[in-house]
Amino acid sequence: MLSRLLHAAIVIFGVLLLTFLLVHAVPGDPVDVMLGDSATMADRDQLRADLGLDQPILTQFWQYLHKLSRADFGQSIHTHQPIAELIVARYPATLKLAICALLIGLAIGIPLGIYGALHNGKWQDMLVTLISVRFSAMPAFWLGPLLMLLFAVWLGWLPVSGMEGQSSIILPALTLGFGLSAILTRMTRTSMLEVLNEDFIRTARAKGLSEREVITRHALRAALLPIITIVGLQMGSLLAGTVITETIFSWEGVGRLLVESIEKRDYPVTQACVLAIALSYVLVNAATDIAYRLADPRTKGA
Amino acid sequence: MKRFALSVLLFWFVAVMLGRLYGLQPNVIDLDNILAKPGVHYWLGADDLGRDILARVLKGVEVSIWVSVIVTLVTMTLGVTVGLLAGFLGGAADKVLMQVTDIFLAFPGVLLAIAFAAVLGAGLGNLILALCLTGWVSYARLARAQTMSIRHRQHVVAAESLGASIPRILGRHILPLLASVLIVEATYSLASVMVAEATLSFLGLGIQAPEASWGAMLRDGVRYMLVAPHYVLVVGLSMMSLVLAINLGGDYLRDKLDVRTER
Repeated sequence: MLSRLLHAAIVIFGVLLLTFLLVHAVPGDPVDVMLGDSATMADRDQLRADLGLDQPILTQFWQYLHKLSRADFGQSIHTHQPIAELIVARYPATLKLAICALLIGLAIGIPLGIYGALHNGKWQDMLVTLISVRFSAMPAFWLGPLLMLLFAVWLGWLPVSGMEGQSSIILPALTLGFGLSAILTRMTRTSMLEVLNEDFIRTARAKGLSEREVITRHALRAALLPIITIVGLQMGSLLAGTVITETIFSWEGVGRLLVESIEKRDYPVTQACVLAIALSYVLVNAATDIAYRLADPRTKGA
Repeated sequence: MKRFALSVLLFWFVAVMLGRLYGLQPNVIDLDNILAKPGVHYWLGADDLGRDILARVLKGVEVSIWVSVIVTLVTMTLGVTVGLLAGFLGGAADKVLMQVTDIFLAFPGVLLAIAFAAVLGAGLGNLILALCLTGWVSYARLARAQTMSIRHRQHVVAAESLGASIPRILGRHILPLLASVLIVEATYSLASVMVAEATLSFLGLGIQAPEASWGAMLRDGVRYMLVAPHYVLVVGLSMMSLVLAINLGGDYLRDKLDVRTER
């Protein structure tokens, strides 16, 4: 367990270093890029000093870490708002979207995967596999507009975009959730197929349990373990997916903030958003890892 | 499935060639036909500047394929070299490499490529650079794992004890055994780079106007969805057909070459 924590610490340090280098070690003068040609010399020097760009690079990195330890992400070049406030204001929306998408992914993926496994090799299974392959090949910037066109423009059931009303989350969450459900379907199917061949399933059947009990009480429990890992790993693509999905549906989360900051060349905000998303991912992964180890006694000491 | 994949690929090849022969103009602005519906003159309609969507889609395929071929070749060469060395040498070099790849993998999906492209500035060259900087990692992991499993086979040990140099052992005795895995991986990566390129272009970080690119067209298509839904549908369907065909091609190669990878 200790080595896992050490590993996570090294990865987090690397993430900090890489996001730092994003702004401070790019070719050319970041101040020129951020302010454009019309800025005065005084403006440039001011910004350079604000960002600490006049210091040696190691000093800059140390200051960056020091500020981060006090949750100080610096301030936006354009609005001069503290970036920490911007992120804290936007984060809950992203989290809400990711959780809804996860629930949708689970609600579709697990039953579909079980269904596929129970009909292994028959046409139902082929259909399930086909659907899950199709959906995983659909990136958010294609599935999103498709759902928008169908449910908002043609059928008019749901709002096109924005965050007003409870129903506005449905389309962005479906967009993200469908992609996730495809992977979950495939993993559940594979995992179930493996478990269904185990001796304890034959024993459960032999002692006269109904098929429903065999599936839910014996097979599913054992099959769920690998699915936990996949869910953890997929949280990452879910978080990355929010960047596109939030942009399409004007969902005011961290992903949208990232894209806005890129458009305005507000580098410190871009940097902070990338850091926030990457750190969330690392933490979710570490938590998944620990949860998995706790859930499966066989991995103790490994 | 194989037939479907091949016919889609053939379709796009023929379409691009015909488009070139016919001299389709992807950048000609026609303000009388802004967002025109599909018809006799513009088979797939016109975009927000009255440009021919068919011509732009065909131009977009070419750009998309070039970008994904270049990125795949560069990332594969780089990643495989690093992975072979790490897997063969082991020890400290391997540990450091694994830490570095773990750090890269801590950025989910295309997030790191988005960040690089944002800092480097928009444009085709920077787009390719950003995708290369982030794409080599998976090849390095794959090549390392494979090398480690082959490293102690008898023919490698024999070559080593006969005094073969490291480049020779890696190039002549290990790399050929990785070929089928790498071919399959490269096929899938063509499709995923295509999606990544479109993602960056969708965010305005890739190919710049007036050049045609699928990502940028999808973004415009979403913007004008209420008045011209055919725009986004045409571009999206085109792109998905190609990505799907390439992925199915990957599946076919995987089964044919008997490669077992967890995907």
